[in-house]
Amino acid sequence: MIRFERVSKIYPGGNRALTDVSFAIERGSMVFLTGHSGAGKSTLLRLIMILERASRGQVIVNNRDLGKTPNRLVPVIRQGTGMIFQDHKLLKDKTVADNVALPLMIAGLKYSDIRKRVRAALDKVGLLDKEKAWPLTLSGGEQQRVGIARAIVSMPPLLLADEPTGNLDPGLSRELFAVFREVSEQGVTVLIASHNLDLIRETRKRVLVLSNGRLADDIPASDQPIT
Amino acid sequence: MTVLVLGIAMFLPLGLYVTLENLQGMNLRQEEWSSVTVFFKSGTTETQVRQVAKQLEVRLHPQSVRLISPGQGMVDFRDASGFGASLDMLEENPLPWVMQVSPPPGSTEQLERRVAELVAYLNSVDSVELTQFDYKWLQRLGRMLELGRAVVSVLILLFGLAVVVVVGNTIRLDVNSRAEEIEILALVGAGNAFVRQPFLYSGLWYGVMGCLFALLLLSLSLLYLGRPLGLLLETYGTVFSLRGLGGYKTLWVLLGGGMLGWLGAWISVQRYLRLLRVGGVLGRK
Repeated sequence: MIRFERVSKIYPGGNRALTDVSFAIERGSMVFLTGHSGAGKSTLLRLIMILERASRGQVIVNNRDLGKTPNRLVPVIRQGTGMIFQDHKLLKDKTVADNVALPLMIAGLKYSDIRKRVRAALDKVGLLDKEKAWPLTLSGGEQQRVGIARAIVSMPPLLLADEPTGNLDPGLSRELFAVFREVSEQGVTVLIASHNLDLIRETRKRVLVLSNGRLADDIPASDQPIT
Repeated sequence: MTVLVLGIAMFLPLGLYVTLENLQGMNLRQEEWSSVTVFFKSGTTETQVRQVAKQLEVRLHPQSVRLISPGQGMVDFRDASGFGASLDMLEENPLPWVMQVSPPPGSTEQLERRVAELVAYLNSVDSVELTQFDYKWLQRLGRMLELGRAVVSVLILLFGLAVVVVVGNTIRLDVNSRAEEIEILALVGAGNAFVRQPFLYSGLWYGVMGCLFALLLLSLSLLYLGRPLGLLLETYGTVFSLRGLGGYKTLWVLLGGGMLGWLGAWISVQRYLRLLRVGGVLGRK
């Protein structure tokens, strides 16, 4: 599903974010990406979303070399990837339902289908009663769940999450991780960048550890001695 | 505010255009002014005059040919001048045969050409002493109208450009204020077309509304000027009422305005999208 082959990313100005990173993630698996601040977690996710292009090496998603993907196809790639952001990135002047509906509207679905799928996604994250609410009236955890609903509403084969529990208390974080696990069990590949080592341990999934832009460790599922 | 500015900008060329259309539509008695008066040499007989008239009709097919004998000419002159007693003192009638020729009706350009042909032919006839025509002022008016039309074309072009710039600037501000929203749309997979769409509708809307406002201003102006102009022309014996654009042209103006607004919006959004690189790596270049 996702394959990194000796990927390096050097930002303009010479800041080296990733160096020779190589790994592969199977379809339908749930993998954590962890490491200290500035280790390169966000950059790695941005490369998969084609928000950045690799300076060297190959980023291959669904057998497509993203480095060679022309700009006109980038929106299509993004439509097939659900992304969850730490700062939620919700449209403040649209209701919860409208925010969740965005990917489906972009895909050009019929209104009746959109409504049905939005309600199903909101039900999955436990926010069906908030569909007409405005994002700013929701708590941080609820906003994050709206973000998750938006990411899964179009049933993408790949879900990326960048520090999804960054601002949440342990209880809410646990709930969100449970949603990710459920999505993964339905065959969606889930890659989560997180600092939350306790939760990562509890989840007992594969963990990729980045340090100073290099892949320092690749800990398989069920073996969790992260220190 | 944008609609107001657009309305005023579009009112100027539209107003000038309607003014020209009305000037052209006025009853200028073109046929009367384009007729040629032919004075024959003294001593030319009626037979000779009628023969010239006949040949003229065969060759150039004038709309009308009117012959005025020296006797008729004297009667007319006596009535018009008021020199009745003085004219009685003349031993013989000094007036020549006169022929008034009207060319077939047509546009200003056609009339000008036909009058030139008539004059050229008549001047080549031996018995003709002089040809006279009062076409010059009409010709000048025609040229002025032509100039006016050219000015209108230039104004339409300039103000059309102004519409594109004004709408483009408004949309640019709109796009900048919604930069965050555009970025989020791009992150969830929106392509340029999806991002562009609402802004293009806004541009189209601005253009159409600006045109509607301009047409409203035009109608009010025609309403305000119609009566005093009608009264003025009445003193010249002309019955005249101002005409607006008409349904067909109004539709074209609305369509044109809408398209210009759409174009302004398209240029503005496209420039922004290139800068933001929505379709590719996000962030300003």
